[in-house]
Amino acid sequence: MRKHHGSARTGSSRRRPSLIAAAVVATAATLAVSGCAGQGAQQNTENDPNAKVTLSFWNGFTGPDGPALQQVVDDFNASQDRITVETNIMPWDTLYSKVLTAAAGNDGPDIVAMSAGRIPQYADEGLFQPLDDYYENADFDSDALAQAAVDASVFDGQNYGVPVNIATMLMYYNKDLFTKAGLDPEKPPTTWDEFAAMVPKLTVDDNGDGKPEQYAIALADHETVPMFQPFLWNAGGGLVSEDGTTSELASDGSLEALNFWVDLVKDQKASPIGLAGADADKLFTTGKAAIEIVGPWMTTGFEDAGLDFGLAPAFAGPSDDVSLADVVSMSVPASADETTKQAAYEFFAYWNSEEGQKTWAEGSGFPPTRSDVSSQVTSNPYPAIFGDPSVIDNSRTLMPGIAAGTTINDTIFYPTLQKALNGEGTVDELFTAASEQVQAELDK
Amino acid sequence: MTILDEAPPATGRERPVPPTRRSLKPSKRRSVTAWLFLAPSLAVLAAFMVYPMIQAAYLSMTDYNLIRAAEWVGLDNYVELFQDASFWNAFWNTVLYAVVVTPITVVLALALAIFLDRQFVGRAFVRTAIFLPFIVSLGIIAIAWAFLMDPNIGLVTYWLSQVGVVSSQGILSDPNWAMPAVMFVGVWKNVGFYMVIYLAGLQSIPQELREAARLDGAGAWQRFRHVTLPLLSNQTMLVSVMALIATLQAFDQIYVMTHGGPYFKTETLVMLIYREGFQELRFGYGAAISWVLLLFVFLLSMIQYGFFQRRQVRF
Repeated sequence: MRKHHGSARTGSSRRRPSLIAAAVVATAATLAVSGCAGQGAQQNTENDPNAKVTLSFWNGFTGPDGPALQQVVDDFNASQDRITVETNIMPWDTLYSKVLTAAAGNDGPDIVAMSAGRIPQYADEGLFQPLDDYYENADFDSDALAQAAVDASVFDGQNYGVPVNIATMLMYYNKDLFTKAGLDPEKPPTTWDEFAAMVPKLTVDDNGDGKPEQYAIALADHETVPMFQPFLWNAGGGLVSEDGTTSELASDGSLEALNFWVDLVKDQKASPIGLAGADADKLFTTGKAAIEIVGPWMTTGFEDAGLDFGLAPAFAGPSDDVSLADVVSMSVPASADETTKQAAYEFFAYWNSEEGQKTWAEGSGFPPTRSDVSSQVTSNPYPAIFGDPSVIDNSRTLMPGIAAGTTINDTIFYPTLQKALNGEGTVDELFTAASEQVQAELDK
Repeated sequence: MTILDEAPPATGRERPVPPTRRSLKPSKRRSVTAWLFLAPSLAVLAAFMVYPMIQAAYLSMTDYNLIRAAEWVGLDNYVELFQDASFWNAFWNTVLYAVVVTPITVVLALALAIFLDRQFVGRAFVRTAIFLPFIVSLGIIAIAWAFLMDPNIGLVTYWLSQVGVVSSQGILSDPNWAMPAVMFVGVWKNVGFYMVIYLAGLQSIPQELREAARLDGAGAWQRFRHVTLPLLSNQTMLVSVMALIATLQAFDQIYVMTHGGPYFKTETLVMLIYREGFQELRFGYGAAISWVLLLFVFLLSMIQYGFFQRRQVRF
């Protein structure tokens, strides 16, 4: 150190200018990096129908449905030579955390796919523009779309999305485990009580250590498509009222449903506690759970695992037998200009055309977004099963159009449920308190 | 180190500078040189630390969601913060994490350093093995540990079940075990780094001092207590301050391993900042929590500094 110091000093008369220059350059460079991040993109509001457009399309179809999605996009790109859609497939978590920062830096996607339940939150923050004129254009043939899929992205009277898919949930059950338990593999439970009666047979603790080796059902209590919430509907309750103004979490129906299911899980060990969605899938895939209620994206995995599974509507509650429908929709950021938006519309129309939906349903196993296509899907039996009118018409989306929906689910409902499952209070106490929190979120 | 060498030191060991044609006084010229050498670092610090901090202070007084223009709300965020149950939950989780992890890390680092200061076969291997987790990305480590603690396939779960500890839901989603589990990974990950600092400190202690103590009849414990430990005060200060700051900023392993769950049992302040900002899209509120955390860290660091200042040793 000292030596360097000395030589720098003796040679300083010649070195100083270059040192100053270096320092100035370094300072300027760092300031430039930090200072110029937010240059606005030039707003071109005119629509030029002949301009070549490249659209970046962010989505989270990382599973076996990814290649099917890519196939439809490739077909669209090949069908005309003006618009090119480039997909960027990433895990949903990553997408949700990146999309806002990217959009704020004017470096975001032109089309974003996200769970329709999340659209209100982002639309409320001003990320998306309304797409009502898409549905008004007769050329785009929107009347053929399933109404639930279209309505899922409505927020505050305007529609902010166009459906990518509609996924209904059915009950998968493992026939081998039913047979082993002495149950008829062709007779899955049809009501809550029938299921409750099967729990002692389907939950198996061989070595008596208090931790079953096999569970009757895999019910995830976080990070998943909602598994508990539809139970509330079927006892006459729910999370929030349909108009999104009142919490229903403390209603008699909700508390009845929650008491029933929490007792089954907590006291009878019908399902492990603390399951994330992926854990629940794994449990069923490996034959450690006899039942899982989940969407069509799992069929490939279950088939690959060699499971002999049956499919049936989930068991009915005391007052209803509604199941969950999960819709993913495509939206256009507010910053997109008219040319971009119109180009996106053409892609949306192709996606939801008979041709596009046939390719999508066959490749992914999702039911098509339009019922007139179901019968044309021949190579894959599942789109017809999940897209059957008796299933689709009997399903509901969770909290559509409610900006606080994600917050209510992730920071109120699931933590309270976990507390109840871990025995930190009774269902009635915990969820009555949670209901007040939900109301506070709705009133914000 | 560089900074100390560049600044005109009080030691008086500088050689006199030969007279030059320059009009600047030698001492002034030295400080100009020093500033020039410091300029790139200062520029980086200003651009990436000071500016964002000031920006965050401004944001903390606004309602901001990244897309719309920030709306000035004054101290509302801070007022809300202190009435917010999830803030206090995260605050006490952070304090608990720091209070448990910091002393364990420091004591363990010291113990390992003393043990690994001796000569024995395989010493380099053991040192490397303990240091290695510090180099690996915490994300990867956390995923690996999440696997080990998986309720169905985890090796740690299996070992625990062999000694009679059965958790029906896996360590990471058990409300009583989740926090100890992330604490364990936090200690395991960082202890090697602090151990290396202690090792360097041990090697700087003049052998004569311990020799003299031995001749005076001091036993191993007495030599450690009255010679080694006091002479390691500088390292202890460095390690304690750094370890405390690191624990107060605990985030990555918690984010990957538990996401703050089960029901916020492992949600720390930085986790909460992330949740409020990137999930609830309340960047102003997140910035307010950041500033409270910053002030808290600053306060604790000053207390620690004051405490160790009086124990500093010079050779």
